[in-house]
Amino acid sequence: MSEKVIQVGHRDIRIINQEFLAALEAGYSVVVTDTLSRHNLGVGLPQSGKIHFDGSVGYYCGGLNTGTDVRVENNAGWGTGEAMSGGTITVNGYSGMSTGAAMLGGLIHVKGDCGPRCGVAMKAGDIVVEGNLGYQAGFMAHRGRIIALGGAGPSCGDALWEAEVWVAGDIESLGVDAKIVEPEAEEVEEINALLKQLGLEERFRDWRKIVSEQKLWYFESRDANSWLMI
Amino acid sequence: MADDLNSTYEYPFPMPSEEEVAYSDGAIKGRTPGSPSAYDKGGSTRWTPDAIAEVQALAQLGRYQVRGYNCFNQRMPTFDDLTFVPATMTRLPLEGYRESCDMTTVLGAGTGLVEKPLELKIPIYVASMSFGALSASAKAAIGYGASKAGTMTCTGEGGMLEDEREASQKLVYQLTPARYGVDLEHIRKADGLELVVGQGAKPGTGGLLLGMKVVERVSKMRSLPAGVDQRSTVRHPDFLGADDMAVKIEELRIATNYKVPILVKMGATRPRFDVAIAAKAGADIVVLDGAEGGTGASPELLLNHTGIPCLSAIRPARQALEDCGMSDKVSLVVSGGIRTGVDVAKCLALGADAVMIGNAAMIALGCNSPRYEEDYHALGTSPGACHHCHTGMCPVGITTQNKELEKRVNIAAGAERVYRFLTAIAMEVTMLAKACGKSSVHNLEVEDLRALSFEASAFTGVKMAGLDRAFTW
Repeated sequence: MSEKVIQVGHRDIRIINQEFLAALEAGYSVVVTDTLSRHNLGVGLPQSGKIHFDGSVGYYCGGLNTGTDVRVENNAGWGTGEAMSGGTITVNGYSGMSTGAAMLGGLIHVKGDCGPRCGVAMKAGDIVVEGNLGYQAGFMAHRGRIIALGGAGPSCGDALWEAEVWVAGDIESLGVDAKIVEPEAEEVEEINALLKQLGLEERFRDWRKIVSEQKLWYFESRDANSWLMI
Repeated sequence: MADDLNSTYEYPFPMPSEEEVAYSDGAIKGRTPGSPSAYDKGGSTRWTPDAIAEVQALAQLGRYQVRGYNCFNQRMPTFDDLTFVPATMTRLPLEGYRESCDMTTVLGAGTGLVEKPLELKIPIYVASMSFGALSASAKAAIGYGASKAGTMTCTGEGGMLEDEREASQKLVYQLTPARYGVDLEHIRKADGLELVVGQGAKPGTGGLLLGMKVVERVSKMRSLPAGVDQRSTVRHPDFLGADDMAVKIEELRIATNYKVPILVKMGATRPRFDVAIAAKAGADIVVLDGAEGGTGASPELLLNHTGIPCLSAIRPARQALEDCGMSDKVSLVVSGGIRTGVDVAKCLALGADAVMIGNAAMIALGCNSPRYEEDYHALGTSPGACHHCHTGMCPVGITTQNKELEKRVNIAAGAERVYRFLTAIAMEVTMLAKACGKSSVHNLEVEDLRALSFEASAFTGVKMAGLDRAFTW
């Protein structure tokens, strides 16, 4: 795959994104330079291809990605990979607030720490964080997995639906309606296989799997008749 | 002593007995003294029968009450407090039955950033009501009816339904904080993208869909377990304040390659400030939903006691755009309790560019229609008074996910009714506009109105009828 270098600098962000799409659709592997932590780099990327941001990026990098493999050399801002439905995003440094917000599929791999509300409202997919999770990791996440090799800040797994938060290190506190359960051996194997695929060291980890206690799921009844007195 | 009312006077006849005194007015034996109406209807201004019933319901349930429909607060002012003052001597009217009046409405063209602004034949479109709150058949019927009328609909929170996309020539796609099913494919199929930061029925609170309505198809679209109450998040997952929203809007523009306008919808609370912030954040269209706005389900206290009426929100919203120098750049759409073309015309005169209808479209489709009366009675209500959208047991199949009930929506007939209603109210708008001497409905202005109450004048700045000046404090 031949490579195309696209420089960001202070150029129009719309044109830069159009250049990304054109290059990826033409089959180039894209290297992006002079990123200047600009917002909205690599939004709505196509179903295949590779793009490497050689620096730090701002908000929503890889947002609405449908299948491209994205690599960020340094740090990423808020909403990295928001609403992505496929592909992978690898952040070599830290990732800001709301990493993988509302994502529908694909994989985000953060080698440093993640900011608050990692995986907020995510619907599917996996987020693997080698460092620590900020507060309210997995807030109102529907489905999918957030996997932290480090610890987790306050209110971890707050108001979860069916998503899972896996933490190997210390958890500062659980969020509302969250509980820790013992993972099944098969589930741990699945996690280990995913980590191996990402090139992470195979060793014993003391996993805590956080899921919803489901106390917030219902007012009191599924029975419509209980609402008819109004 | 001055206040010594004890009397030393003696009647020239025997003192009557206590029994004679008590019953000589013909009142029922055994009743204590008081006004007859106080016994039959209750006389307390605080402890009305409704207030007593509410306390009793809360005491039984141990939680707040939930219902659908819209605001039941009797104190809400309405557009009926305004009247038009058509052309007479100072202005010339147009021939109401002969001359034409332009209704074409273009939204989102002002910023110059959008390739395909929303061009509507009439200044009215159908509001966002989710699949989940409404049945798929109801959504489709509304879509077809709106398309025939040359206008558009909006998805609501539950994602983009194939039936509705197919039915609606123009469809705005909502991005609510819950982001149910939001992906690039649907974003690129939309004719406009609406970022929702609130709604008039329950500003400051996320969506609500009770478990009875979360059937398999709804559950799949929302990536949530079936049968579970869905109380959606209220804050967006990936932005917080106005500065972040500006970046988010840019992201959506890039995702759609600047093809479609970006709308920002909010409940009417502090429109003077909120509208200015949304406009400055980069919205092409601001949608302002008054407290009378409808909903499929909400805690009742929020429906009745939060937000400000549509009547009072429009002028500060328009003023906000003027203050920012963005009145010609950003379109203003209003909604909330709009019933007829008269209400629509008043909204336009107060400063709206277009008006959204929700409940009215549902009623046109068949909501509260006098059919299936036994099913209304089973819900403890009757046609014309039903507000049980939240239960999913809608007798006419509109606000339900029950397949048997949904069959009661005749998509073709429903679409035609929605179309005819939209056409009728658009005609009403032009009739008023022509009477006021306007060749375009968008030329209606505040001067065309007079207020019939001090309240309406104070809320809107419209001149008082007869006084020709606005009420000021």
